[in-house]
Amino acid sequence: MNSKKIEKLVLASYSDSFLNQKKVNKISTLLSKSDFKKYINGLRLTEKKKSLIVSSPIKNSDLKKFEKLFPNKKIIFKKDPKLMLGVRIVDNDIVYEFTLKNSLDKILNYIERNYD
Amino acid sequence: MIDNDKIISELEKKLMTYGGSSKTQNIGTVVKNTDGVIAASGLSKAVMGEKVIFKDGEIGTILNLDEDSASIILLADASSIKEGDSLKTSGQMLGIDVSEELLGRVIDPLGNPLDDKPKIKKGKSMPLEKIAAGVTDREPVSTPLKTGIKAIDSMIPIGRGQRELIIGDRQTGKTAIAIDTIINQKSNKEPVICIYVAIGQKRSTIAQVIDRLSSEGALSYSIIVCASASDPAALQYLAPYAGIAIAEYFLEKGKDVLVVFDDLTKHAWAYRQISLVLRRPAGREAYPGDVFYLHSRLLERSVKLNKENGGGSITALPIIETQANDISAYIPTNVISITDGQIYLQTDLFNVGIRPAINVGQSVSRVGTSAQTPTIKSVSGKMKLELAQYRELAAFAQFGSELDQQTQKQLDRGKRLTEILKQPQYAPLTENLEALSIYAVTSGLMDDIPLESFQRFEKDIHDFARKHYQNVLEALSTGEKPTEQTLKQIKKMVEEFKKRFE
Repeated sequence: MNSKKIEKLVLASYSDSFLNQKKVNKISTLLSKSDFKKYINGLRLTEKKKSLIVSSPIKNSDLKKFEKLFPNKKIIFKKDPKLMLGVRIVDNDIVYEFTLKNSLDKILNYIERNYD
Repeated sequence: MIDNDKIISELEKKLMTYGGSSKTQNIGTVVKNTDGVIAASGLSKAVMGEKVIFKDGEIGTILNLDEDSASIILLADASSIKEGDSLKTSGQMLGIDVSEELLGRVIDPLGNPLDDKPKIKKGKSMPLEKIAAGVTDREPVSTPLKTGIKAIDSMIPIGRGQRELIIGDRQTGKTAIAIDTIINQKSNKEPVICIYVAIGQKRSTIAQVIDRLSSEGALSYSIIVCASASDPAALQYLAPYAGIAIAEYFLEKGKDVLVVFDDLTKHAWAYRQISLVLRRPAGREAYPGDVFYLHSRLLERSVKLNKENGGGSITALPIIETQANDISAYIPTNVISITDGQIYLQTDLFNVGIRPAINVGQSVSRVGTSAQTPTIKSVSGKMKLELAQYRELAAFAQFGSELDQQTQKQLDRGKRLTEILKQPQYAPLTENLEALSIYAVTSGLMDDIPLESFQRFEKDIHDFARKHYQNVLEALSTGEKPTEQTLKQIKKMVEEFKKRFE
């Protein structure tokens, strides 16, 4: 089965932007092992596209702001102390960095590139 | 003097706005790793040829962009990358850091040193892929690039900014010509910077080349870019582009550069391998459709810039290895059509002792005599014609025993011309000695020297001229057409030497 058909199956597995358990079960029984793998990957990719991951070193109570900014996305919060300060937003394959760790990394990179 | 408080308050201001700038990254996930070619999802903002960085710092470059995936060639060990690993775009095209520090060094196509010498400091980043200089930036090739090989300098002259193909079977002396040319640049007042790009060769062969350049004192103005047979195909594919990118750095500074691509056959093989793994449609001999563009976009970057653009030049000497002297195969014909001429080496000639084994009939330089100094032009003018006539007569003479005097004379002259064009490896000659040897034969001064003694006579007369006729050599070094006086002196010198020669 080609990737276009798999994509169609993935889209058909949703009812009102939620995965339909019955449809998923039905589709999974009809697919070969390799197609089944592609189908799962497709579902994962679609879920990834629908969600927005917000990482911050402290528990952020202002998630509603993100909901307003990205109305069609499911907001997932992740606590990440390594970021030191600020917030990192992952929207599918785009990462927005507003963290102290990123700034320090940039300085470190600059020094490494220009000085021995 | 600036007030200390003012400086500190400026710094405090900076601190207030510090870290406000965001960084947007485009990330992806490894879907498949097939023999160094990686398929990744995500990377929606990536562009063709962009550098990507994997989780552990490995570098790759994008070669295919599909609707929902990108194909990346990995420029490191492929085994550590697994399905599900993350990667990110860098926003940069693939480039190599170049500075004067690279001179005398052996590096890989990414600029990492392969010798035991100190770490190379970061220089200017030069893009591996770049559109060649435009028509208005260029000027016609007119300055010779002396190879120090009599047969080439006299009949197939190479100019600075030219692309001259060296083509022939294995073991015919292709690399030797390139190495001799590099060694000969030492004799220039300001040596031409030489870049030797080894693609898909045995490491032992590369080591020999480095050793030879080092022992001849040619390494100080040379850079060796090395992607050996054991390196990944991706590195072999990038090596010539790295070589030309380094050349472009020196070109920007108005220098003359010589780049040797040894060899482009193996480069085409590496690209074929990558293309097949990328599942691009295979064409003739399983090469992809864009194999012509692969070499044309590389060799188009060879250039002679006009004065307004610095006047520098990049001369390219690509090498192609043929199978059983078949120059009509796919890659040889492609590269022949791209370059400005070819030096064709033949096994038969090599085996009968004609070395360099150049087939003068099938070798050509499309730049022609405009890349010759008046000195060489005046002494070697009729040589190619005489040799062509000789070959025709020699073939004809095989069938008959009786030959008229004129034919016999032509045959005799042809034999002598062939003999004088023989030259040992790693012994390039300066222009004045080349002119002296060629004139001595074409003017008939060496007609009474037995063929067996030719090589010895030539070597000894060079030493004799250096000792006793320095003024003649100086007159031949000017680059100008030799005067009647100089020619008379050469005659006198040869006659005088003949009396001493046993």
